[in-house]
Amino acid sequence: MRLGFFLSEALGSMRRNWVMAMAAIVTVFISMAILGAVLVTRDNLNRGITSLKNRVLIEVFIKDEVNADPQQLQELERKIQAIPEVKSYRDISEEEALQRFRERFGDRIVDNLPINPLPASFEIRVKDADQVDRVARLFFDDPRVDNDPGTHNGVKYARETVRKMLGTINLVGWVMWGATIIFGIAAVLLISTTVRLSIFARRREVEIMRLVGATNWFIRWPFVLEGFITGIVGAVLAALFVWLGNWALARWIEGSSIDFLHLRVYDLWWQGGAWPAGLLPTLVVIGGVLGAAGSAVALRRYLRA
Amino acid sequence: MIVFEDVTKIYDPNVVGLQDFSCHIAKGEFVFLVGPSGSGKSTLIKLITRELRPDKGRILVAGRNLETLKDSKVPLLRRNIGCVFQDFKLLPNKTVYENVAYALEVVGEPRRSIRRKVPEILSLVGLADKMDSYPHEISGGEQQRVSVARAFVNHPPLLLADEPTGNIDPETAIGIMQLLVRINRTGTTVLVATHDREMVNRMRRRVLQLENGRLVRDERRGGYDHPGEANGEEA
Repeated sequence: MRLGFFLSEALGSMRRNWVMAMAAIVTVFISMAILGAVLVTRDNLNRGITSLKNRVLIEVFIKDEVNADPQQLQELERKIQAIPEVKSYRDISEEEALQRFRERFGDRIVDNLPINPLPASFEIRVKDADQVDRVARLFFDDPRVDNDPGTHNGVKYARETVRKMLGTINLVGWVMWGATIIFGIAAVLLISTTVRLSIFARRREVEIMRLVGATNWFIRWPFVLEGFITGIVGAVLAALFVWLGNWALARWIEGSSIDFLHLRVYDLWWQGGAWPAGLLPTLVVIGGVLGAAGSAVALRRYLRA
Repeated sequence: MIVFEDVTKIYDPNVVGLQDFSCHIAKGEFVFLVGPSGSGKSTLIKLITRELRPDKGRILVAGRNLETLKDSKVPLLRRNIGCVFQDFKLLPNKTVYENVAYALEVVGEPRRSIRRKVPEILSLVGLADKMDSYPHEISGGEQQRVSVARAFVNHPPLLLADEPTGNIDPETAIGIMQLLVRINRTGTTVLVATHDREMVNRMRRRVLQLENGRLVRDERRGGYDHPGEANGEEA
């Protein structure tokens, strides 16, 4: 293969038909930017979900008399330790509870309290949010727990919240997959239409190439290279654009009141996780392949013998 | 070089392109193909380059049976056939030099030999000083000479010309025709489809006359018209 010749043919034709080339690059840019945005959003959502799941905790309030008796307290602690679903737990003393209360509601209220009304508690984290309900139930009828008679109000956990959250998380996951697929298809269609237009404009050229005995691949290579270059240029621009947008948004949120979202900047080059490639490698590979394949497919009808 | 045996080509739905056409053109011949528009001249040429396939009959070109020729081998067939058209079919965004060079690039000719052959053939057709011009910058006659140069730069054994002088003035047409004759003298078989009565009459070569897709005359040193109805204008 004469790469030099094909490359100069491809670049030359892009220079000559630069309006078409720009249109194609913009198309790729838009498709890839949408795809990149979906990618970043999904990544951030996944992280948000993980951190939310980790935050689901069960508060078990301890009766004052149990708290005063080291032996009973130890028994309760052992019970917690024995539960396999428990990831970690912490005991919160009365003083610490008051301190937290102070932080949340201010000094004035706390200073006016004659005694510390807050009970001591255990904060239990489970390994999986799905297990919250099961673990919490283990303490419903425990005599050491500070329940009002006939209720389970000594065990606090976000039961409804957890259920709704899990449902929402699943739904959002599906929506994101759907969006990825739909925008992926839209990108393919947009790119192949653009390529087809640019090849239609040059069908005479293709006819002449065939006339002088060019093999199909000889005709195809410059077009495929052109599609490839178009795809890569568009994808690089899109990756930079999405990354910058992501970065700016993350910066802005960090300084605002909704920073619990912990928006993360998707790495441009490389990152860990289920999808290790960063924005740039991902989009460039997709863009390059789409561009090249789009050209090859669009050429097919002009290359029938 | 070219053998047609009972070839029929019908276009959809019922238009006759070529009907039971048989002929034999030997290597090194110079043949005129005459007849009114729609008589099948272009169909014949397209069948030779296998742009079209016949509905019936057999075609051999340079020993290849076009019926059994694989699609992937068609480019190889076309490299052995130089083609010249009425509308020149030059690539508008390539220079004269690049247009001719393209036919060599396609065959995988080394860069160095391209650089030698293209100026050579361009000076043969008298365009050595127009190498860097674009097709739209030169006259029709010059464009046609570029197209002849491109067709002949590979020294193909067969050269087809479909109305090569149709778009240029008579003076220039003579030059083009002389070029084709010179090419023919190097041993290349030349087939020219034309309307140019005066040219055919002057040259006195073999003439195949088509009418409604049928061969109505095959004369060794013929004029444009039937000998019986010759109109006396012959030179």
